[in-house]
Amino acid sequence: MNTSPFVKAGILTLVLVIASIVSWELYVRAKGFDNSYDDGEPLWSNKRVLVYEPLNQSTVFIGSSRIKFDLDIDTWETITGVHAVQLACVGSSPLPVLHNLAEDKNFKGRLVIDVTEGLFFSTSGRNAETPEKNIKFYKDQTPAQWASFQINHVLESQFVFLDKDRLSLNEQLINLRIPNRPKVFQFPIFPPDFGRVKFNRQEYMTEKFDVDTSQQNQVRGIWDFFKKMNKDLPVSGAKLDSILTAVKTSCDKIKARGGQIVFVRTPSSGPYLMGEKKGFPREKYWDRLLAYTNCPGIHFEDYPPIAHFECPEFSHLKQADAIVFTKNFIRVLQEEKGWKFPKRDGGQSNLIIH
Amino acid sequence: MVFNSYTFIAFFVIMLILHNLPFSWNVKKKNLLIASYIFYAAWNPPFILLLWLSTVVDYFVGRELYNQQNKHKRRLLLVVSLIGNLGMLCFFKYGGFLLENFTHIVNALGANYHPAKPNIILPAGISFYTFTTLCYTIDMYKRKSEPVKSMLDFSLFVTFFPHLVAGPIVRPPQLVPQFETPRKVTQKQLLQGLFLVTLGLFMKVVLADSMLSDSANKVFNSKDALSALDAWMGLLAFSGQIFFDFAGYSTCAIGVASCLGFVLPQNFLYPYAAIGFSDFWRRWHITLSSWLRDYLYIPLGGNRNGKFRTYINLMITMLLGGLWHGANWTFVVWGALHGFYLMAEKFIQDLRKTRTPLTLPIVKNEMPGADIVSNKTFSNFILAMITFFFINVTWVFFRSPDFTSAWRMLTSMFSNVKDGAVLLTTLSIIKVSVITILMVAFHWMMRNTRVLTVAENLPWWLLGITWSFLLLILIWSQESSSSFIYFQF
Repeated sequence: MNTSPFVKAGILTLVLVIASIVSWELYVRAKGFDNSYDDGEPLWSNKRVLVYEPLNQSTVFIGSSRIKFDLDIDTWETITGVHAVQLACVGSSPLPVLHNLAEDKNFKGRLVIDVTEGLFFSTSGRNAETPEKNIKFYKDQTPAQWASFQINHVLESQFVFLDKDRLSLNEQLINLRIPNRPKVFQFPIFPPDFGRVKFNRQEYMTEKFDVDTSQQNQVRGIWDFFKKMNKDLPVSGAKLDSILTAVKTSCDKIKARGGQIVFVRTPSSGPYLMGEKKGFPREKYWDRLLAYTNCPGIHFEDYPPIAHFECPEFSHLKQADAIVFTKNFIRVLQEEKGWKFPKRDGGQSNLIIH
Repeated sequence: MVFNSYTFIAFFVIMLILHNLPFSWNVKKKNLLIASYIFYAAWNPPFILLLWLSTVVDYFVGRELYNQQNKHKRRLLLVVSLIGNLGMLCFFKYGGFLLENFTHIVNALGANYHPAKPNIILPAGISFYTFTTLCYTIDMYKRKSEPVKSMLDFSLFVTFFPHLVAGPIVRPPQLVPQFETPRKVTQKQLLQGLFLVTLGLFMKVVLADSMLSDSANKVFNSKDALSALDAWMGLLAFSGQIFFDFAGYSTCAIGVASCLGFVLPQNFLYPYAAIGFSDFWRRWHITLSSWLRDYLYIPLGGNRNGKFRTYINLMITMLLGGLWHGANWTFVVWGALHGFYLMAEKFIQDLRKTRTPLTLPIVKNEMPGADIVSNKTFSNFILAMITFFFINVTWVFFRSPDFTSAWRMLTSMFSNVKDGAVLLTTLSIIKVSVITILMVAFHWMMRNTRVLTVAENLPWWLLGITWSFLLLILIWSQESSSSFIYFQF
């Protein structure tokens, strides 16, 4: 007779694990969570390989979190008929990705560069960490990592509980908010309804966040925390010149291969916008960037259809506004910047939606 | 591919199905060999050529070494094998290190020599499979065992995916006979194997990666002097991380092999309950320390040539053992510290004129460690904690990227640094403290037994609940498939 406890224990394990997972999945769905993808290096790399499509088939977006929230990719792709390849990184400078694309001789496409002045005109290594990690992963990715990502995609699409940023063990422990010793740096905890990630890397606020002023204030407080934490003065002089030179060099390389580039200043509002204007006066940074690189730019304040948005937490658009912004942004690209898309009229008759 | 990845889970399920289909034993072995190459190629396909080269050269050289009667030719063949294996290891692992040190020396002598930094990628697991093949050719030279009869069995011995990239380092007599005769996995072996895989993944993914790695990285990557609390917590975090990472890998490897019906040697036996440093090396990375004993320490003379020579041999063995871990002088110092500890322990033993047999581990068929101190008294526990303390000090050099960082850590740990940086959150400190205490307690409780023995004696429902807990926490942690620390060695 087999007296090993492993057989019965194995069956019990199977039952307990399946029952627990099903219960947990049902619970988090009931709490209002939906699928959100891990926006790590594998997902970024999955999008990075798409930049080689011809100019009339895809547009690449780089920048910081604003373009991730503000560009509604479904709207973009429906109207233009071209793919939107989202390579922007949250809390990061787009320059490492710009330089990476410039050095890639096979990239000859269209590029939209989102400018969030505090991150774009920055020499802090912190702001380059995430894009550099992403680029390194993309270059070094092994076949095994690629295959794991494909399986993970299937699972993340099915199970809400696989939301690493909100529901993993460590995140749940962090949410206990145990007080720290003085001087210990604790990365701020974002509220649960801010920043869900789609598989196309678009980020969005949930509808609950749109109306929950408590969560909005929490995020506003986080921006304030970052502002106070950053003791560096805005770059100027030789440092600014070197950033502009590096950007121009990369842009020239892409344009020389037939690529097209446009800079975009996406909306912000309230005290956040006032602080940005004060720290990074337009004529000294934005205007100079366009003049120095000889690239076109779209500043939201210059175009009434995209100048009126109120960001719930001062820095990013809510989902409904992102759709409106995207439609009008496409129109500006077509009418003002001469960009042509395969679907010239798709959806354009409904433009200027306020 | 790494064990803690979805790719491996899919790969493993396919392997289990294939291995249990009614194929002939020869076909099953071929399946295992092809799977092992796929497992390895999933990192970097071109490096599979190195594996083939090493396998083919050592298979034929090994046979010839055994059969050749001419002494000179045998020595020549051995030299060919050593140069082939160690040359490959030196080039890929130590090429940059040797060039860097050579550059320092010639520049110190007045030359102005600044060569380009070589861009050499280290093939995964090269140190492990080099030692596996090396012990085969040395055994053949000494005619300690018979040559492997078939190329298929030898290739599988070298390449068998559970041990390929991070051990346990297997010897031919441990694995080759298992390939020579057909084996069928029993239900018990399969379930025990799955349990060990779960336990190994829990150690790696939950404890090492999810709970401890952040604290260790934060402290060791700091450029500032730290408060003593942060420095010690960071060190304890790394102490736990390196154990759970590597022992987790070994446990997975043994579990995976068990699911396929094979037995791999134990690699860890609760090392943080070791009483003394020779006991530690009987419990930590057992297959490496026994390899070093049999193929380095004993050939150097072991303890056969007097006390002084014994000390020297111990130190040489540990220095090279340190260097095996990485091309950096910090690893050499790590080895030197262990060598010093072993020498001091031997010195004290000699003073007391005890007859305790010396030091480096003895692999026996019975449970390793059974012949050493087994009495779990309070005084022995204190001795174990003193050992744990000194082992932790060595980890400073193992983890620090350079001597400046190591010195900064030691200063932070042992002096009251004024205004030392405070880095770790309260949550991190709680995690490190709780895990360290539980880890040491478990090691102490389990030091004279094995996990499967304990599991077999549990009521089925308690084993089921424990197994479920491990699996659920593993799923809940959602850690990405980060590499194992020992892969870089």
